[in-house]
Amino acid sequence: MYTGRELREMFTAATSWLEKSVPDINALNVFPVPDGDCGTNMLLTLRSTVEEAYRAPDSDASEVAQAMARGALMGARGNSGVILSQIFRGLAEELGGKGSFGGREFAAGLTQGAAVAYKALSHPVEGTILTVARDAAVAATTASAQTESLCHIVDAAVSAAKESVANTPSLLPVLRQAGVVDAGGQGLCVVLEGVLQYLRGEVEQMQYRQPQVMSSGLPNVSRIVQLSAEREEPYGYCTEFVVEGRRKLDRDKISSRLADKGQCLIVVGDEKMVHIHIHTFDPGKVLQYGCSLGILHEIKIQNMDDQYRGFAEMVESQSPPASVATVAVVSGDGLTQVFQSLGVSAVVQGGQTMNPSTRELLEAVESVAQDKVILLPNNKNIVPTARQLQGLTRKKVRVIPTETVPQGVAALLAFNYDADLKENVSIMKQASSAVKTIEVTRAVRSAVIGKVKIGHKQAIGFVDGKLASVGEAPEEVLLRVLQGLEMKQSELITIYYGKGAHRSEAEKVVGLIKRDYPNVEVELIYGGQPHYHYIASVE
Amino acid sequence: MWGFGVVRIVTDSPADIPPVLAKELGIVVIPLYVRFGSEVYRDGVDLTPDEFYRKLVTNRSLPVTSTPAPGEIAQVYDTLAEETEEIVSIHVSSKLSATYEVALQAREQMKKKCRVELVDSMSGAMGEGLVVIAAAKEARKGTGLEQVANLAREAALKSHVYMCFDTLEFLRRGGRIGRAQALLGSVLKVNPIIGVKDGETHPYGRERSRARAIDRVFDFVKSLPSIGELAVEHASTPDEAEALADRLGGIFPRERIYMSRVAPAVGVHVGPHVIAVSALEGQ
Repeated sequence: MYTGRELREMFTAATSWLEKSVPDINALNVFPVPDGDCGTNMLLTLRSTVEEAYRAPDSDASEVAQAMARGALMGARGNSGVILSQIFRGLAEELGGKGSFGGREFAAGLTQGAAVAYKALSHPVEGTILTVARDAAVAATTASAQTESLCHIVDAAVSAAKESVANTPSLLPVLRQAGVVDAGGQGLCVVLEGVLQYLRGEVEQMQYRQPQVMSSGLPNVSRIVQLSAEREEPYGYCTEFVVEGRRKLDRDKISSRLADKGQCLIVVGDEKMVHIHIHTFDPGKVLQYGCSLGILHEIKIQNMDDQYRGFAEMVESQSPPASVATVAVVSGDGLTQVFQSLGVSAVVQGGQTMNPSTRELLEAVESVAQDKVILLPNNKNIVPTARQLQGLTRKKVRVIPTETVPQGVAALLAFNYDADLKENVSIMKQASSAVKTIEVTRAVRSAVIGKVKIGHKQAIGFVDGKLASVGEAPEEVLLRVLQGLEMKQSELITIYYGKGAHRSEAEKVVGLIKRDYPNVEVELIYGGQPHYHYIASVE
Repeated sequence: MWGFGVVRIVTDSPADIPPVLAKELGIVVIPLYVRFGSEVYRDGVDLTPDEFYRKLVTNRSLPVTSTPAPGEIAQVYDTLAEETEEIVSIHVSSKLSATYEVALQAREQMKKKCRVELVDSMSGAMGEGLVVIAAAKEARKGTGLEQVANLAREAALKSHVYMCFDTLEFLRRGGRIGRAQALLGSVLKVNPIIGVKDGETHPYGRERSRARAIDRVFDFVKSLPSIGELAVEHASTPDEAEALADRLGGIFPRERIYMSRVAPAVGVHVGPHVIAVSALEGQ
């Protein structure tokens, strides 16, 4: 069993562990407002928590937990700090009246903390510190059914928290777009990790280690673009204070009174004291209302637009070093994702029979942060439009005349972060010409090409734009075209199946190709493109 | 074997110096710690690369690395101080590991009288190793402390490492992905090429197959203005490393190419299937 002193020491260790990753956590901060202070806020919250803990008699776990909850409430800063303070409240509620505690009580405290944290927000958002707190609590509870060891239980919570943090971008689109995990969730994960190291008796070694910042494995688009795009609405002021009530405080009533005063409202605490956090354009009104309730403490008002500017500069210094942007013309949700996951700076929707206008291309070129832009038209008919852009913008625009999607993919893959515009144009051109493209579609009308007669709606296959095969089913044509190619020099076939095709049908073709060419690797990808049932590359 | 007046070289296990070569050049290697759950190993001492990569594939929990304590490094310096009065201690990039910082503290804690110059290699794996080897060769000529340290610092600016990955999962989960984050999350299966530049993880590019990734690394090396030293290393594919070295033999004397193994402390972050080429510019 653990005493109050140990409870305090655990979080003292967690504080110094968190301190090391504050800059990293600040850099992740994009939600709810990209102001880059999440790590700092969590650290300040934790410091206040631990300082208060030192004022309690340290033999008694209950007393220390109450003191920590009080310290957290008073010192909480920012969204994540306030939510973190609720974990201490949960612990305090669970440890109430207990002189010592073990793994089960700790797990129950985490669960209680996650529950009160959810309740404190009028609109809880998944993919944030809330989700991580809940996942960690669930894992701790599960582990506590099998073991009483606090160390093992916290270990389970830490593992779950890490997975949960890595998963946040799949729950919260703004994180996915920015290519980061949730900063508050990462902070909580580090805090729990600090506790674990204390329990393992590794406080000494902690100074020679560095907390790991999780990154998401999901596709991300360029962060620079996201952050430098002009924002239309200002963020306002982050306003926070603690009210010591003259009379009994009613949290629900306070929440409903402040609900229309701003965003990100959080009201936590008890009848005697509440902590209020809100993003508002008029801090005065909020403070005035606070004064009507009681005495205000720990008042903090920050201009988030100022913070944002500092943050954007910091992020830019940490992003991939590319001085050249890439813009691609793509159609289909799957293909768009393929290009984005390969780091294209911007995508313009368009392709066969739906060529984008010069203006659309120009807008994309202007939207990227860099002054040098490489355009990938990915269609024969779009190449001339793309070539016109150079005269229309101050930016330096170069066109790689990619006529097909596979050529565009090959060019983008060859992009070199260290190379300048000229060198990249040369290597991307070369790479795009090394790939063979197969396209399968249905004829829109009957025609005679060369000596081949094509019936209306028949499936037709092209190799690098030249008619290669005619048949009834697109799969049959795809297979015949592939079988007709010289494969000795090839090692990889990538098939993008379009809107009009089915994965299961495509898989059959893949099986047959693998049988014919056991040494060739075949990758089947959802392209979602209109018009072409299949687009394939052979390289 | 090394006279008292000779500058001695200390480095850390992420430099991937082959043990035989370390012995031959009198290089003292400080092991980092590799931890699987509650099991702790000294890199290269209690845990060989073979054992490590087997464990890395079969173990459920991911290992982590940690640096030795300042006291441990101070002890290495103190022991060596019985054989020399000047040490150059060269370490893995301070942006990737705390080892350099710990060595700074260790120098303060030394008991024996011995001058220690610290060098941040701003690299890792044989990118660091080639800097260490260059310094050791210079020291053996009887060159003084400052000159050896300066030579190492200059070499650090001309050292390159290109590593072919099958997966970035280890780099991501180990928190060392840095700017190479740009290469994460491809919908298509790709083989990224990542190295260390200015001390940080750096994305060099990607290819659709391992063979082509290796081709691209070959091209990177070929396009360097000059090659003074060259090293090939692998995690668990010795034949592939030999084949690549034979190929590099076309542009640099084959017998001078160092062959090495990616140490567990690096393997924790790069995974069990990497192959790398390091080059030091120069004559």
